[in-house]
Amino acid sequence: MTPPMTGLEKVLARVLGVGTALASALIGLGIVAGVPRLVTAGIAAIIALPAIRVAIMLGAFVRARDGRAAAIALAVLAILALGVLVGR
Amino acid sequence: MIDTTIFFVVALVASALGGMLGMAGGIFVVPVLTIFLGVPIRIAIGASLVSVIACSCASAAPYLRAGLTNLRLAVVLETATALGAVTGVLLTGAVPLPVLFALFAAILLISAYQMRARRVDVVALPTTGRDPLRLAGRFRDPSGREVTYHVHRLPLGLGLMYGAGLISALLGIGSGVLKIPAMDGALRLPIKVSSATSNLMIGVTACASTGVYFLRGDIVEAVAGPIALGSVLGALLGARVLMAISSERIRLVFVLVLVALAGFMVLGAAGIDVVRGAG
Repeated sequence: MTPPMTGLEKVLARVLGVGTALASALIGLGIVAGVPRLVTAGIAAIIALPAIRVAIMLGAFVRARDGRAAAIALAVLAILALGVLVGR
Repeated sequence: MIDTTIFFVVALVASALGGMLGMAGGIFVVPVLTIFLGVPIRIAIGASLVSVIACSCASAAPYLRAGLTNLRLAVVLETATALGAVTGVLLTGAVPLPVLFALFAAILLISAYQMRARRVDVVALPTTGRDPLRLAGRFRDPSGREVTYHVHRLPLGLGLMYGAGLISALLGIGSGVLKIPAMDGALRLPIKVSSATSNLMIGVTACASTGVYFLRGDIVEAVAGPIALGSVLGALLGARVLMAISSERIRLVFVLVLVALAGFMVLGAAGIDVVRGAG
């Protein structure tokens, strides 16, 4: 049975919600002000958000001494890194 | 600036309408950009992927707070979707444009079929009682009753997820088309858990491919920016006006639109220049 992790779920909900809002604001500001760099920064922030989410989960699994789940979260991050290494 | 406004509005409408039916609007973005706005398909795919991530993140919070998202299951399946996405990235250069258009047409038709056949909660299989990764979960249904569920046939689910990741990276969509059969059919999850968990996973799946496209310089900010912004606002809007119009009627319109777009994508595959982004 999955142990209740409401603390983690709340943190993730907040990080994803606030993160998307900030990134969208950057993009909107960049478009309105005509500053392409701001738009690019907002896009980069959006792309990074899911990776940040997995990193937060990894931290929570490590703190809970849940070795298997931590290893799997680490594997996901490793695959993301692998993609960047082989795909560029 | 006119283009920016058009991109923004297209994404807003696609995402709002998609949100009303609980599907991602991402599947409309690439066809509309390539067919009607003359955006080259690879640029359209990059922009669509950014909006897929944005929508996944923007809509995750309510599911997480309601305890519907199975986080452990999400990371396990993400190993497969992310690997699939990396494979897709490596394949992009090798897949000729006509094949890309044809594949997109096929996915549009499958989506149309799935939209007609509605999802129903499957009957749970008897469990083996073994759950080494502790993936089983529980949630409260609207009546306050606690529902417990188990995860079945994980290897089959992982295989389908790998395919979903690959298609997502190649076509720039969230790949709900393949995730739904994987989660409902193979893993036998309750629909709400399946929707919540796949919504979260879509973000990482798209992140695996989009990160590479971004570093390669394939994400064009003038297209991706307004598309992402429109999608996020559209998703929020769609959730608000969810019940305003009969969803049966929207469903039928969507089926027709999906089939029509599939037809255009077939023309694109044949190199007929109705499709301005085919070149």
